[in-house]
Amino acid sequence: MLSEAIANELRAIVGSNWFLDSPEDLATYSYDGFLPEYKPDGIIIPENREEIAAIMGLANKEKINIIPRGAGTNICGSSVARQGGIIMAFHRMNRILEIDRENMCAVVQPGVVNADLQREAARFRLMYPPDPASMFVSTIGGNVALNAGGPRGVKYGVTRDYLLGLEVVLPTGEVIRTGGKSLKSVTGYDLTRLMCGSEGTLGIITEIILKLVPLPTSKATLQAIFLDVDHAAKTVSAIMASGIVPTTLELIDKVILDVISDYGGASFPKDAEALLLIEVDGEEVLVKAQGERIEEFCKERGAIEVQRARNAEEAEMLWQARRTAFGAVARLRPNILVEDATVPVKRLPDMIRVIMDLAEKYGLRIGVLAHAGDGNLHPLIMTDLRDEEEMARIDKALDELFEAAIGMGGTLSGEHGVGIAKDRFIDMEYSEKAIEIMRGIKRVFDPNNILNPGSFL
Amino acid sequence: MDLNNIAEEFSQCNKCGLCLASCPVCRELLLEKYSPRGKIQLARYYGRGDLELSDHFREIFERCLLCGACSITCPSGVDLKKVFLEMREKISEHRDLHAHIKSMVQSLAEYHNISEEENEERGEWRELLKEIPDHMYEKDRAEVVYFVGCVSSFFPMVQGIPRNLVRILDLAGVDFAILGGEEWCCGFPLLGAGLSNKMEELKAHNLEKVKALGAGTVVFSCPSCYGTWDEHYGTDLELLHSTQLIERLIRDGAVTLREVKAMVTYHDPCDLGRGGGEYEAPRAILKSIPGVSLVEMEKNRAQSVCCGGGGNLEMADPKLSRTVARKKIEQITQTGADTVVTACQQCIRTIKSEARRQKIDLDVLDITDLVLRAIGPS
Repeated sequence: MLSEAIANELRAIVGSNWFLDSPEDLATYSYDGFLPEYKPDGIIIPENREEIAAIMGLANKEKINIIPRGAGTNICGSSVARQGGIIMAFHRMNRILEIDRENMCAVVQPGVVNADLQREAARFRLMYPPDPASMFVSTIGGNVALNAGGPRGVKYGVTRDYLLGLEVVLPTGEVIRTGGKSLKSVTGYDLTRLMCGSEGTLGIITEIILKLVPLPTSKATLQAIFLDVDHAAKTVSAIMASGIVPTTLELIDKVILDVISDYGGASFPKDAEALLLIEVDGEEVLVKAQGERIEEFCKERGAIEVQRARNAEEAEMLWQARRTAFGAVARLRPNILVEDATVPVKRLPDMIRVIMDLAEKYGLRIGVLAHAGDGNLHPLIMTDLRDEEEMARIDKALDELFEAAIGMGGTLSGEHGVGIAKDRFIDMEYSEKAIEIMRGIKRVFDPNNILNPGSFL
Repeated sequence: MDLNNIAEEFSQCNKCGLCLASCPVCRELLLEKYSPRGKIQLARYYGRGDLELSDHFREIFERCLLCGACSITCPSGVDLKKVFLEMREKISEHRDLHAHIKSMVQSLAEYHNISEEENEERGEWRELLKEIPDHMYEKDRAEVVYFVGCVSSFFPMVQGIPRNLVRILDLAGVDFAILGGEEWCCGFPLLGAGLSNKMEELKAHNLEKVKALGAGTVVFSCPSCYGTWDEHYGTDLELLHSTQLIERLIRDGAVTLREVKAMVTYHDPCDLGRGGGEYEAPRAILKSIPGVSLVEMEKNRAQSVCCGGGGNLEMADPKLSRTVARKKIEQITQTGADTVVTACQQCIRTIKSEARRQKIDLDVLDITDLVLRAIGPS
């Protein structure tokens, strides 16, 4: 619990409107997109770096936990007060400070919503590629902290690939700057990237410099349907090996196709086992030729149906299945666990088979969505949290799932983060020494362990 | 706490937060408690006895347009609007209502309208009609009853809507009547106030009066009256929004439309679109008028953003209501059209009033304005 004296000091820093501790506020900052909830002791909403530095100075002195939170859409529990403390929210730091056309970069505050930056960049015919499913809500600060990805990741990569520089307030209240607007920089350790994906455990990000790319002028969208998941997976490998780099390469398995059909989202041939949604973007001439080649690849490898969109409306129609997938699945049972195990792209078919086997072994209903082009699987586990017996079976299945992924040279999480969702699995992926190095880094930044403690380390 | 009827909605919420992007209120107020996801959490806390229905709790739930955009957005199919309406019921049982809402409720009890005016004044909009039949549309029998609604009856800014509609119906040869002073409020504002239990008398009265005319159809220019009848009146009568009837009259050739040169955008009223599921009839009308070109807003149909006039927000927090209206006007002007057409008197009031305050040159028309213009002077 927070003493009234400290609460008053915090109020003095941000103004009494921006330190919240009403029961209603505590209840509504106790969650993010993951399952467990932890009620914080307060919520503080600073306006600028100076206020944040003052808050951290006080917190460090008094050993008060601070947990930074963007929009609370992450699904690994990386922005909840697991060990109590104060949630720091960035609602007021939501300005796009600059779109620098010549240097092809943007300077933003952490509370800017991803889609707002996309819209602003598009006005300059530029694009900020990372497009997590939460992009209409999630903030850039949160995206950096979680190193967010998205369907465009196959071609464009993830948040860290666009991160040029940061301003960070350390847990001690000191301020550092890392990187800058220059595209190349090899001076010293790469602290910018160290912050990226650190899940709010190392510092408070107060300003972000992001690389932008030219907005593609054209794109081709295709949908292919297969009677065999293996054929779909082999098509994925063939496309990736051909030299074409698709923007998006999504796979939907039979379980989910059936759910989408039942829900009325779209209809597919009855014996369809897998669907690929493929998109390429760039110059019109190139995109057209690539679209034709991809269509051939699909047909050669057993696609029973290939549709290539002739215009934007048709492209939108083809996206319909993918867009309704999550919602259609989410309606079946009260809860849905979205897993994120990721493997080298060639092992994709093996991993899909592992998931199917686990579903059968543990009597679970699991559908697979995959960003197939980068081996990033999203098994959707349909469940009801109130069913303890089923949750126990899910736990066992997850143990085996992660072991299999890491056994194939993959990772626990491709883009969702570790947080409190996967902290217990981290030693599967890293040796004791590697984890000790991470803990050491944490101590250097945060000697009193006040920043998001109890998260993944 | 007896929230069994909405408990399923709580368990279905995955807290993904996608509803935040759809909510015009939380985009302004920022704090999580004002977001749809936050309000679900507060309802859940109340349901399990972890939160009292404090004044602050009431204020939070007042800050909602009941526009239903969150319900449409939710990937898990949670009907958030249903939860918010139910919570307003609970709040009204335990807390004093907002002073403005309280006086509205009193007006309904005393005058059977929202305006604290004698209910006989309901027909005063007829005074400016150039031609009017002797029966003044109050007949003993009619096939169709036109249920005018409180706002169009009493607010001069939108009294043109019933004047337009009766002329269109006359020109199309529809046998219709109005209830005049015997039309009582449909009860819609009571739903937003959390007092659905007070609707019974109004409902029974209106149904009885319509039946007395032997009508088989009731037509509404107000999407909220239409929705309230549709959802709460439990009647076999055919219920039509005016756009549905006009679209049918055009299709049947009962009215002929001449050219009107105009570039317009169309604002989907929440209660007609998301509420009534009617997105196409108004668009079909606009497309059937020669010379009218329709340019859509970026967010249209189910994604349409509320004008700011929903959920009794205008009474609880007029400033917030206006801010939402201002954002709506920005979306309208971004289309390049200098005319916005809609099919709801409340949307017109909200958008027009804010455009005036902001000194923005924007034509705000009800769809009947345009239809009547196309029918031309007769």
